[in-house]
Parts: sequence; C-alpha cells; structure tokens
Amino acid sequence: MRRASLLILALSLFGSAQPSQAQTSGTNDTLTVAFAAEGTTMDPARFSAGVDQYFISQMFEQLVRFGPDLKPVNWLAKSWSIQGTPDKPIIDVHLRPGVKFHNGDPMTSADFEFCFQRLKDPKVSRWTHLQANVEQFEIVDDLHFRLHFSAPDADYVVGNLQLWALPKKYFEQVGDEGFAKAPVGTGPWKFVSRSIKEDIKFEAFDGYWNKDARPAIKNLTIKIIPEDLTRVAAFKAGNVDWIDAVPLSEIDNVKKMPGVKTFTAISGNNLYIDFPSYQPTSPFNKEKVRQAVAQAIDMDAIIKSVLFGQGERYEQIGKGSTGYDANLKPYPYDPKAAKKLLAEAGYPNGFETPCYNLTTPREPNIKEYGEAVIAYLGAVGIRCKVQGLEYAAWINLGRRGRNGPPDMDGVLMWMWGQGLPGDPATPWAGHLHSFVAGKGWGSYSYSDDKKADDMVEKLKGVMEPEQREALIKEIAQYAHDNVLGGVTTYRPVITFAWRDKVDFRPWPAANWRNFQQVGLKN
Amino acid sequence: MKSVIIKGLANALISILGASLIIFVISRLSGDPVSLMLPMEAPKSAIDALRQNLGLDLPIWQQYLLFLSHAARGDFGNSYRWQMPALQLVFERLPATIELAAAAFSFSVLLAVPLGVLSAVYRGLWIDQVGRIIAMTGQAVPSFWLGLVLILVFAVGLGWLPAFGADSPRHVILPAISLGWYPVAAQTRIIRSSMLEVLDSDYIRMGRAVGTPERLLIWKYAFRNALLPLVTIMGVYFAAMLSGAFVVETVFAWPGLGRTVVEAVFSRDYPVVQAGVLITSIVFILSNFLVDLSYSLIDPRIRR
Amino acid sequence: MSVTSAPTPSAQLATMQPFGVRFRLKGVPWIPLFILALVLIGAIGGENIAPQDPNGLNLAAAFRPPFWQAGGSTEYLLGTDNLGRDVFSKIIVGARVSVIVSFYAIIFSGAIGTLLGIIAGYFGGWVDTVIVRIAEIKMSIPGLALALILSATLDPGLTTVIIVIVFTYWTWYARIIRSEILSLKERDYVAFAKVAGCGPLTIFGRHLLPNIFNTLLVLATLQVGQVIIFEASLSFLGLGIQPPDVSWGLMLADARQYITYAWWGITMPGIAIMLTCLSSNLTGDWLRDLLDPQRRQL
Repeated sequence: MRRASLLILALSLFGSAQPSQAQTSGTNDTLTVAFAAEGTTMDPARFSAGVDQYFISQMFEQLVRFGPDLKPVNWLAKSWSIQGTPDKPIIDVHLRPGVKFHNGDPMTSADFEFCFQRLKDPKVSRWTHLQANVEQFEIVDDLHFRLHFSAPDADYVVGNLQLWALPKKYFEQVGDEGFAKAPVGTGPWKFVSRSIKEDIKFEAFDGYWNKDARPAIKNLTIKIIPEDLTRVAAFKAGNVDWIDAVPLSEIDNVKKMPGVKTFTAISGNNLYIDFPSYQPTSPFNKEKVRQAVAQAIDMDAIIKSVLFGQGERYEQIGKGSTGYDANLKPYPYDPKAAKKLLAEAGYPNGFETPCYNLTTPREPNIKEYGEAVIAYLGAVGIRCKVQGLEYAAWINLGRRGRNGPPDMDGVLMWMWGQGLPGDPATPWAGHLHSFVAGKGWGSYSYSDDKKADDMVEKLKGVMEPEQREALIKEIAQYAHDNVLGGVTTYRPVITFAWRDKVDFRPWPAANWRNFQQVGLKN
Repeated sequence: MKSVIIKGLANALISILGASLIIFVISRLSGDPVSLMLPMEAPKSAIDALRQNLGLDLPIWQQYLLFLSHAARGDFGNSYRWQMPALQLVFERLPATIELAAAAFSFSVLLAVPLGVLSAVYRGLWIDQVGRIIAMTGQAVPSFWLGLVLILVFAVGLGWLPAFGADSPRHVILPAISLGWYPVAAQTRIIRSSMLEVLDSDYIRMGRAVGTPERLLIWKYAFRNALLPLVTIMGVYFAAMLSGAFVVETVFAWPGLGRTVVEAVFSRDYPVVQAGVLITSIVFILSNFLVDLSYSLIDPRIRR
Repeated sequence: MSVTSAPTPSAQLATMQPFGVRFRLKGVPWIPLFILALVLIGAIGGENIAPQDPNGLNLAAAFRPPFWQAGGSTEYLLGTDNLGRDVFSKIIVGARVSVIVSFYAIIFSGAIGTLLGIIAGYFGGWVDTVIVRIAEIKMSIPGLALALILSATLDPGLTTVIIVIVFTYWTWYARIIRSEILSLKERDYVAFAKVAGCGPLTIFGRHLLPNIFNTLLVLATLQVGQVIIFEASLSFLGLGIQPPDVSWGLMLADARQYITYAWWGITMPGIAIMLTCLSSNLTGDWLRDLLDPQRRQL
C-alpha cells in the first residue's frame, strides 16, 4: 500500500510542468532554428557583445551593411558621402524613402538622431567612445542629415556608420521598459515573444521596404540550445531545421546526412600568440626569438587534427578582409631554423618562460589548440611553465595597466576579432600599438615600436577606402617582418547546417546568423 | 509550540543574514567584472564610468549595506549579463531545480526503502549484500560521472532516454537518477538499522507470537516506525541534493538554477550569483526549519 | 548522537588498550587496501612510472581505443585522448593530485574542525554558541555553490582547491567532535584533571585527544572519498585543478564532448575515482567496525 502511493507520488512529479514543448518544424509557414547562444538585449543601443546581434540584426537595420558577397552595400542610406575638410570631415547621408517601422511609423532623420543620442549616453551604451568624434548631428530634412566630425574617424566608416534606425516616437511613448518588452525596428522580422534562455519568436514584417531581399516565410522561431550534442540531436530528429555552430567532432557526420546542406565560413575572430617584446629583459625582446616562435609551430597540423580542419591560417590579415595581401604568407614551419634562430639570439639551449592558456571554450577546442602550440614551442626549446586560466582571469591577466599584479611576462594565447569581413584598425590599436596609459592605445598590447605606432595612428584618420587598403598592407608587411603584435595563427570557421527544404541565403550580419533571406521549399 | 516556531524563525533569519554576508563578500572579492562586460577596445574612461554606474567603486561594507537594503525589498539588482532583474532570472530557473531535486529524492527513496527493508528482513543473505553494494556505489561515484555514464549507455548507446534539456517528462529520468543515487547508501543503512531495531522490539515479537502475518508486521507496523529517522536525514541530504544539482544540471543541460549560477560565476555576474546562491540557501534553511518543526510535531518528546 | 550515559566505546577501548586494538586478520579488507596502495604508488611514482608522458601531445595518435579493441595497442593501454595523450599515464599522474588534495585537505580541515569542536564542546557557553552558529550559517550555503564562488575569488588551482575543501569540510569534523567532547566532558578523569589544576591545553592534549583519536581516524578515512569526488566536481566545472596539472575530474571534463567518439575517455578516469572512493569507504567502514562497533551513525 505504502509502496504504491510512493510510486504514484514519484510519477506525478515526473509529469509536472515542463518549460517547453519540443516543436516540429513541419508547417509550411514556420521555420524553427537553433542557436548555441542568445543575445542578452534587444535594444541596439544597449548591445555589448557580438552575441547580442543575433536577435538585434533580425529586427533592426543600419545605414550600410555587408551583403552576402561581403561587399558593403547601402542599406537604409540611399547614398552617403564624405565631405568637408580632411581635418573636419562631414558624413552626408541621404535616407531611403518609404521605409516604415514595424508599427507603421515612417523612418526619418530624427530616428537616427535619437539613436545617436542613446549611443552617446553612458547610462545606456557601452560604446560611447565610438561617438566621441561626432560633434554635431545636423538634421537637414526628414530624409537627409549630416554628421559633423571634430576629427577624422575611420572607425566610424568601418563600423557601418554605427547608427541604427530606432523608432523615436514609439520609444518615447512606451519608454525603456516597454521597448525592452516589445521592440520595434525596420528589419524584415517583427518581434512576437521571447522566453529567456529558451526561444524567441518572430513574424515576417509585411511592410518591409526591401522587396528583393526578404524572408519568404511567415514565422521564425529561434530556439536556444547551448549544448552541442543536444543541438545536433535536435537537428537530426527534425525538431529544428537549421542549426549554427555544428560541433567540430560532428561536422563530418552532419555533412554525410542525406538531404542536408552545410555552409562553412569564418566567424570573425582572429587568434594569435603574444609575448612581451616591449620588455628589454625578456627573451622576446629579440626579434630572432620572435621569429623562432613563428617558425616553431605547425599550425596546419593543429588545424587539421585539433580543430578538425575548422580553421583558416592567416598572416596579419585574413582572406576577404580589408587590406588582404595574398603575397604575404606566414612564416614556414621549420623547427630546425627556429632552434638555430634561438641559438643566434643567445639561447642555444632554449629558455623557460611562463605560458598562459585560455581554458574556457570561447572558440571550439581553443584550450587544446593552446596546449598543442605550447607543445611545439617546447620541442624547439621554449619550455613553458603552463598556466591554464578561465575567461575572467585570462582577460584580467592580459589587460595592460591594471593596478594589480605585475604585467604578463611570458607567452599569451590571445585573440582579437577583426570582424566580418574584417578590418584590423581597432584590433591593431589594441594590440599592435604600444600601450599608452590613459589614451586608450594598446590596452592589450605587448609591443612597442615607434614606426608601427605612427602607422596605426595614421590609419585611424584615413577614411578613404583605397588609401586605407594601401596603408593596411604596409602595416601588415611591417608587422610581419618584425614580428610585432604577436604571431597570428588562425581564424576559426563555423559550420551551419540546414535541411534541403530550407532555402537559406547566408548574410554576414550577426556572424552569419541572419535570416534576411530564408524560405521553405515545397 | 509558538515559541518553537518563533525561535526557529529567528534562527533561520540569522542564518540567512550570515549566509548573505559570506556570499556577498566572497563573490565581490572575485575580481573585476567590468572589464568582462565591455569590449576589449573600450577605453579606461568607459570602464571607470561603468564601474561607477554599477556602484562597484564603493568600499565593500558600503556595497554590502546597499545590497542588504535593496535585497530586503526584493531588489537584487540587474544581471550584468542579461540586463534584467537578477531575482527574476533566479525565480524563473528555480522551479526546474526544485523539480529535479524532488525527482531525485523520489528516486532515492524509491530505491532505498525496498533495499533497506529487504536488507533488514533478509539480513545476511544475498539480498543484503547486493543492497549494500548498490548503495555503496552511490557514495563512491561523483554524480556527474554517473550522469555521463548513464548518458553513454542509455542515450548514446541504447537510445532509450533523452540526454539533454528538459523538453519532455522523460528528460528528468537520467538527471534524477544521477543526482539521487548518492543518498541511497545512507538512507538504506538507516532504514535497515531502524527496521532491525523495530523488528526486534517487544510488540513486534508479540505480534508474531499472536500469529499476525509477517507481511503485515513488516509493512504496517515496523516500517512506520522505521521511517522516523529517515525524516531527520532528509534535511541533511536535501542540502547535498541542492549542491549536487549544480553539477548534474551542467552535465544534462538541465535549465535550472544551478546551471545559471555556474555560468554567472564564470562571467562574474555578481547580482545573479548572489541572488542564486542566497535563494538556494534560503530554500535549504527554510526546509530545515520545516523539517525540525514537523519532527517536533511528530515526536512530542522533542517539543521543548 | 553519542551515547550519553555509558562511557564512549572509543574511550573505553582507549583506556583499555592504550596502544591500539587487537587485529583480527579475518575481516581485513584486502582488496580495497591493495587498491589504495596502488593509488599511493601512482601518486609517488607519477611520471616516472607512467609508460608515456601524460602531457605529451601526439596529434597522430589521437583517439586510439584501449588495447583490447581493434585499433588499440599495448602502447596506449587504455587508449588516448583527443590530443594523443595516453589515458593510462594520465590516470597514474592524476592519482598524485587526488592524494595530495586528500592529504592536505584532510589534515587541515581535520585540525581546524577538531580544534573548534573541542573548544566549542569543552568551554560551552557563548563560545559554543558562536562556533555552532558560524558552522550552521556556513552549512546553510550549499557546499558546491560556496566552493564555486570561493574558487573564482582565489583563482582556481591546486592550492585553491585545498583551501576550498578545508573551508567546506571543517564543520563535518567540528560537529562530530563537539558532540563527543560534550559527553567526555562529564568524565571523572576530566573533572579530576581540572581539580588538579591542569590547564585546558593539557586537558585537550592528554585527556580528550587520545579518546577521540579513533573517531578522527574513521572520519578521516571516510572523508577521502568525499574529498576526491568534491575535487573532481570542481575540476569538472572548470574551477578546480587547471592544466597542465592532471586530475581525474579534469580528464572527465575534457573527454565529455567526445562522448560519442571515445567512450574510454569518460569511463576510465571515472572508474579510477570509483575504485579509490569505494576502497577508502570500505576501509573506513572496517576501521569503524574495528575501533567502535557501537557507533554506526557516523
């Protein structure tokens, strides 16, 4: 008797309220996809990490964006140009007419000014420093405005002109909280509902301005499944029809699945190895030692075995990024030459050094990649005293100018994304330019070279695209020759998979997780 | 009776306050979260501004007092990562953890009770030994390893049960087993020894002499009395369950509070860490209080 | 839950046979002791007795199965992990971490817990109340949660793991020792010692400690398993032992994503943990039965 009642009690607990039902993506007007991570905010002005773009980019739009071919295309801006003088440039923007917000309000210059004000507000935005050079936002008329700069600012152009179309009238009506609950933008997808850490639902926006590139289905559900194997299992079972970030060990299996398409592309991150070349007492102060590091590591083998091929080698600038030079090749893998260089530099028996490796998987298998690199270094005589660090400790270690423990004094496995398609200006300002306290230069930099500094500072002021390309190539060559700013290793690639019935065209926004053009075939 | 309740509640309150102090101080000392919240290229001015915004530049004792005064009103601040109230996030995740703990507990009782009773009744025979072994393995394996092995066998290998997430009722089975196996050893032992004691007692012997069927003696009379010590142990093992949930939830991607707190610790999301750990402690303290209360209700001798 | 009226069995035995107890060879748990000896050998020998370098990367030898499966070889007895490191060698070296952590954690948490337990039990009054209250508050925070935030604060690593375990487990000792002391306090010889003018320290050292020694021994042995599991859990979550140190828990964390590929990665280290814990638990049980047959509530 007692046993039975206990059993019933137990069973009733098993059947209690569950968070969400498994959905089959079978109906013809709904596409269910799965992401490995989710954005933390749906307000473009509050965005803090790349992950936030996953949701923001479906609902909101900018003046300029990159197309599927990674070339910039005017988007909400019908046209724009750089005017004024080289010292005080003006970006003149003509907006596209006929664009509406999800609630029907027309898009005007005032909406961009509103966004500008929010991006400048330190209580809202974490990127206020990016607006620092804009001294005035001039509204000429509803479809025409000008940004007056107090100094040339190339980053502004690189960053897609920074501004988003935020519905000023709507925002003022509903306020911050109302907007967070029901965001409204100009993008192809309208917000329907969200369950934090579980899913978010969108509905296609009928009044969307772009008739050529728009979704062809009515509803989109994005489920959040951080567990790699679960995500793949959900895909295999048909619960979702599109997944991002296929785990490295499953890529082959997924590719072999019948009726499945995959797409592999770089995800915008750039990994490299850094060391304190600025410290006169460090072995890495000697150029030959740095060159030895560059030649000691068989990156191709690491990419093949440790990363299951999911990485792309690059030297300073990756393929497709601004300033890419196909002739600039990485140092060859040559451990004998590396040992010789070390001997010439005064270390015939190598030397000991601390080596710091990130253990939190910000990129797949990044810990193992670091361990492999460290093993190769050991093989040529650079003997590592390894310390594994989890993300917070790692960030705090790498940052220059903390008031805490002494600066990093050995080999540091690091990364700084150049983005998609990629521009090195901001990363170089952070890890190639020497560290200058209080000025924002070299916040994670371990190099100190006057010529490099001058070139990087010049780059910040060059806004014309061809001039930028030429200067970037020059900097890349210089950095390569003198091994400054670290030894670049690889760019992670990411693989997406979807069923044949899904008609998906990858757009690079939000690291390819953008559903600008998607449909269901019958 | 009333004095027992008041005394218990006062004790509980002191415990909660003390716990909040410990949690607060330790987590605040765990390093600067601001540089994690901003992009790497953020200038020092942005970092300082954010730090000031979040009140992290104040001395710790001031931060603690602020925290207490807000917490008393139910405001644990906004999660640094999610930009939503930390307490809300915690309450959204708490039910899943409670569900897991309850399921695990049911499993452990379901396993321990028959094992304990049978071990006592058939003392010394093979059932006793087998029971002992089953129970011992629970204490000798980490719950997360048990989880991994269960996944390997039942999800990956046989495909009978789902491995991750909480999409269906069946999803709770493997996590509950992983979490619930640990206390089985102690529970079995307790049931067994108290059953042995009771079975040996006078009135049971009397029952036998009078001719009452053995089955009735075991289940109706002996068992009831043997359950009492089990209630005491419940409190201790509930804490172990809540603690173990942290790891088991991570293994099974169970969307509960434990997993949320682990992630928050990694990203130094103080408000969520504080709210999560404190709420878990409060749950434990209150459940202890209730257990003590019910114990004193059951056994009038304790009621002093 | 000590017997309050009769003298504690522990004290009885101690006073009867000050140098120990009669051993009966019959009940000795030979196999568990043997396994524990193996673990100890592994810990002491470490890399010197391991067949391969536990941190030696060999990308070409990744994911080799154990030697009894097709594709395996006796070179890598229990297979290799995703970077070609020998699992068997890693298990041997991982024993060192388990032994070190157990040893120091038990010594320190035992010392602190015992001291506080004795003080609380002996002096009583407000000292007792304060210590008990602090212990209660600490115990109301789920152990692993506290360990996580403490680890994050102290920067994860071997030393931190030990500190965290000491922080978590001292209450275990304190509580049990305190209740033993509470009953011992009433003994005649303690009263005599007080009257004779012995200071507290002498009483602690000469009269109380020897009588709780057996309890301590049993507690310590039973704690080994718990400590190993605790460390494994911390390392599994990423806030325990950090590479390049090898820990069984860390091995499990690394092998987790390859669960469909390489079953040996998550089974072998776990079996090591299980065997070690089982052995120490069985040994602890045997010790307890030997030294303290009445006390089954430990």
